Amino acid sequence: MNAIEIKGLKKSFRGMYALNGLDMTVPIGSIYGFIGENGSGKSTTEKLICGHLVKDAGSIKLFGKDYTDAGVRARVGALIENAGCFAGSSIYTNLKMQTLNLGIKNADEEIMRVLKIVRMEEHKELKFKKCSLGMKQRVGIAMALLGNPALLILDEPINGLDTDGMRIMREILVDISQKYNCTVLISSHILGELEKIATHYGIIRQGKMVQELSAKEMEERARVFVSFKVNNLQDAISLLKKKYANVKEEFGYARVYDEENVDEIVKYLIENNIVPAEIKKNKVGLEEYYIQLMSQKEGE
Amino acid sequence: MEKANNLKFDASTFVKRIKGMLSVDFYRLFHTPLFYIFIAIAAIIPAMIIGTTGMQGSETGALFTNVWQAIAVEKPLYVIENIGQYANMNMVFIFGGIMVSIFIGHDYKSGYVKQLFTTHSKKQDYIISKTLVCAFAMACMCLAYLLATILAGLFVGLSFSVNAGSLICALLGKLFMSLGWASLYVFLNIIFRKRFWISIASSFFFGTGILIIGAAAILGNSAILNIFLYGSSVYACLSSNFVSVLVCLVVSVAWSVIYGFLGTYILNKSDVY
Repeated sequence: MNAIEIKGLKKSFRGMYALNGLDMTVPIGSIYGFIGENGSGKSTTEKLICGHLVKDAGSIKLFGKDYTDAGVRARVGALIENAGCFAGSSIYTNLKMQTLNLGIKNADEEIMRVLKIVRMEEHKELKFKKCSLGMKQRVGIAMALLGNPALLILDEPINGLDTDGMRIMREILVDISQKYNCTVLISSHILGELEKIATHYGIIRQGKMVQELSAKEMEERARVFVSFKVNNLQDAISLLKKKYANVKEEFGYARVYDEENVDEIVKYLIENNIVPAEIKKNKVGLEEYYIQLMSQKEGE
Repeated sequence: MEKANNLKFDASTFVKRIKGMLSVDFYRLFHTPLFYIFIAIAAIIPAMIIGTTGMQGSETGALFTNVWQAIAVEKPLYVIENIGQYANMNMVFIFGGIMVSIFIGHDYKSGYVKQLFTTHSKKQDYIISKTLVCAFAMACMCLAYLLATILAGLFVGLSFSVNAGSLICALLGKLFMSLGWASLYVFLNIIFRKRFWISIASSFFFGTGILIIGAAAILGNSAILNIFLYGSSVYACLSSNFVSVLVCLVVSVAWSVIYGFLGTYILNKSDVY
């Protein structure tokens, strides 16, 4: 059983398909990084899962049950676009309303529990409109955490946050996933941050799933490369191509893919009168993997 | 900690859901200034009308000779003959419409409605809860209007002579009509949920009963008009009896069921935002 199972999901707006037969599988307990360019259908998918939009076709199952099942929905929390709080009311009042909606007993205890998770217990009497962006995002997560959700859906929760805000958010999400066994579906453009926490990835393009893979698979697929910064880049690339199969010019560097032996490549360059100014051995990260995948798809 | 393969999902029954939704809406009603502002408006309107027109030396002259004329007309007249026949408790239903528009509008403007529909709440729960809570709020406004009318009448020195039974029937009829009006306003606000000002304007337009007044002007004062909200609201007059109360109750419940179904259908078939 998976936390989310989507098959053939379609959604159009005024005749234009935002989702065109999306398939998606989010394993229970995972932090699922949902990646795609603007307008690719990430938010639409999340809104459909949350029941905010009406689907045209396809099926959505949450924990093996239809996504409209009220019992399952009672254990879904979401932060989509904004926290969904009343600006003139305090953080406490906003959370209190959601505890009433969910029929949570010991509401005060529950409110303090979620505020502690998002590190906001000191600010419970603060009016929502007085909160900073980072605080509003955290209140939104606190709201979503009420009632011990089994599934948390977060749409771009780290957008607009400063470095410290991102770090806090990252720690909170890892905490939620590990301590509370909550499946987290998170979409973000900040792939570097996503890479630090995600256990699974889904890459969407033009309303269709391009690829789904676990962080482990991603690690296995991540190609090793050695990159060189040299003055005469084109000469260096031509030279390297004579000896190595996968040589590319990327980001102002000459990159030799799938070769582990740095010494041997350096020696080869120097023997041919090319002296590297900078040498790096690295692996393709999520961001680069994503860019490469997208450019491959564009080429198809 | 709950294990992944041992997740429990309790059944979320209608009773549990509606209880939760009603709790939220009543909590919101009592914890935001909106409700108290509209209670005050409901009280100020009769006090001002009776006060300003009933005082000795008033330029306009007394609008009412009897305090209960500020509550309801003597007999059901769907087309008003003078402004005094319009200036009665039915005005609460016009201002109540604006209150409902703001109450529901805030749900959408703040995005709180997303939190509701993400969790176990169904669209029908939302409609039912909003209708009941807004009906309660409008009934409170009616009572505030009544209280202010009595106080203003005492202050100005108007006559209080009335057939008590008919007065009670008229008051009960008006209170029952709160449900029907609330359901109409909830329905209008569901239709125009993405356009706040249009929802307010439409509530005001329908709240004045202008369509029924127009129909009555053409058709004449026909009892058939009682099947509409404005018609039955006028029917709850100072010559009311048990039948009037029953008509108000049946019409109010019937329209709230109709509007409830229509509102639920629209919400189920369209995107939340």
